[in-house]
Amino acid sequence: MAIPTRQLGSSGVFVSAIGVGGSSLGDLGSNSEAQRIVHEAVDAGITFFDNAWEYHDGMSEERLGRALVGRRDKVFLMTKVCTHGRNKQTGMAMLEDSLRRLQTDHLDLWQIHECIYDNDPALHFAPDGVIEAVDAAKKQGKVRFVGFTGHKDPAIHLDMLVHDYPFDTVQMPLNPFDANYRSFQHNVLPEARKRGISVIGMKSMGGGGEAIKAGVITPQEALRYAMSLPVLTTVSGMDSYDVFKQNLAVAQAFTPLSAPEMTALETRLKGYAGDGRFELYKSTKVYDAAVGRRMHKFPPSTELPA
Amino acid sequence: MTPEFSRRDFIDTTGTAIAAASVAPLMAMVPAAAATDEIPKRQFGRHPDKISVLGLGGHHLGDAATVGEATNIVHEAIDAGVTFFDNAWEYNDHRSEEWLGAGLRGGYRDKVFLMTKVCTHGRDGSLGLQMLEESLKRLGTDHLDLWQIHAITYDNDPELAYRPGGIIEAMAQAKRQGKVRYLGFTGHKDPRLHLEMLQRGFAFDSVQMPINPFDAQFRSFQTHVVPEALKRGMAVLGMKPFSGQGNPFHNAEITATPRDFLRYAMSVPGVTTTITGMESLAVLRQNLAIARGFTPMNSDEMNALQAAVAGSAGDGHMEIYKTSIAFDNVVTREVHGMPLEGAHP
Repeated sequence: MAIPTRQLGSSGVFVSAIGVGGSSLGDLGSNSEAQRIVHEAVDAGITFFDNAWEYHDGMSEERLGRALVGRRDKVFLMTKVCTHGRNKQTGMAMLEDSLRRLQTDHLDLWQIHECIYDNDPALHFAPDGVIEAVDAAKKQGKVRFVGFTGHKDPAIHLDMLVHDYPFDTVQMPLNPFDANYRSFQHNVLPEARKRGISVIGMKSMGGGGEAIKAGVITPQEALRYAMSLPVLTTVSGMDSYDVFKQNLAVAQAFTPLSAPEMTALETRLKGYAGDGRFELYKSTKVYDAAVGRRMHKFPPSTELPA
Repeated sequence: MTPEFSRRDFIDTTGTAIAAASVAPLMAMVPAAAATDEIPKRQFGRHPDKISVLGLGGHHLGDAATVGEATNIVHEAIDAGVTFFDNAWEYNDHRSEEWLGAGLRGGYRDKVFLMTKVCTHGRDGSLGLQMLEESLKRLGTDHLDLWQIHAITYDNDPELAYRPGGIIEAMAQAKRQGKVRYLGFTGHKDPRLHLEMLQRGFAFDSVQMPINPFDAQFRSFQTHVVPEALKRGMAVLGMKPFSGQGNPFHNAEITATPRDFLRYAMSVPGVTTTITGMESLAVLRQNLAIARGFTPMNSDEMNALQAAVAGSAGDGHMEIYKTSIAFDNVVTREVHGMPLEGAHP
């Protein structure tokens, strides 16, 4: 079966309902394995490709760039800018790095990465902040659409939205645990839709599949739940060929869960949701990346693992 | 499903608990006169007891070099007029309670206001009552002056504490049995959780929270919880005056001194005592020098210190007990299924 596509806002641009996560591309054992997954994904109808300037110190972008040679025009290419509070010029330099590594002259979507510190919205919207870089990049035609991402706290996302900036997308964790714990689904998704901003889901399996390893949910249930929400796409990390095939199969067979089915899954998992044990990106430092920590003067993960 | 605690354990917003409490918090806010070099005392919330403005932290007592050193710290603190002693069932795999118990032998127990904390972290109240017996035994006493729920940390902790068969029922029972005089709770994570504990209605006598110039500007207990506690006639127990382990002073961005920080915490209106760790006689003496004859900072001085650290407050990197699980004890992590990397007992 064909992978469903969905429209970005009212732009007339359609993307696949599942996206390939960029961080995991860098976790794969070899360039050739990454290339095989990217090629088969494109052939199967996946068009949405995620990445970030900082993933694996640029290696994730380089791998994706190499794999997309000759296929760039078949995909909707996103990467993220990682100023973490630094100035416009830093953001513009990162854009050039990303374009070079991805071997393209433009991005389809450029997002502000990892808005996870309480003061990030103020820093991003400050004079000479990253928002000015986003504006300039759009004007120069180097990016078509813009957005922001974060895995920590719905309140921070709402602080970003309250500035009324014309974001096209916003990316957030969406899974059945989130529904009952510091919920993006309940607090941010409706607000984004009200503003006509397309929502990109991520962490459908809790980031590192912690709940799957614990045996409380299957990957099929988790991915299908996330894809059933009113979202543009669900970015899914695929850190092996087997995981890619598994997730591809879910997307190819996809039909949305009914509302009662979604509620039943949330209810079944509610006892695991309330302390954030399967959403460590919200409840701990485990998923907070190195550059952001450094810019915010937090210890590195070797000293502050969680 | 009927909880074992009675209606009168809850604050009745129209009843006597509030009426009796209406004066005490205001009195607690009046700076104690300090014409001498004694360590001032303040009233313990709505109750007549008075406790010293400086409290000796139990975790660090277990970090002293030897039990002899710990005993010397306890004796010298009591002789200087420190009466408030903090501890927890789980600190340092119980060494902290054992060493405090050693220091309190020989008549010292009766000179102090003794607190320890129960560490069910959401498990059954019956387990809490076992912990109480263990704490009493280690501390060498037949009663506690204050027993607090340790570390309200995870979003579901208030719900778990209040559930039928949970720790709050056990606490009410321990109080009826005369094993504990007063009840409270603690936590270092999020003011919203403290407020939920208050709003669910049990008539706690005290609440413990981080109080320092960073907190004043980031997920602030001082701003959000202190006023609610005072409204209820509760004692406010400050902790982490140096934001945990003194880390700000190893950082070039902070020019204020430990003395400034401890004085700030002790000066926040409504704070009854400030608990701080003292793992050596040298640290004890440094803190005693600040506490003796203490007069609070005025609001201009406090505002100036807040302003001086404002640039370091907004992302919580100076308050990692709020922004990471680094300060979450190993037992609570285990109960809540969290990673154990970097956990301390």
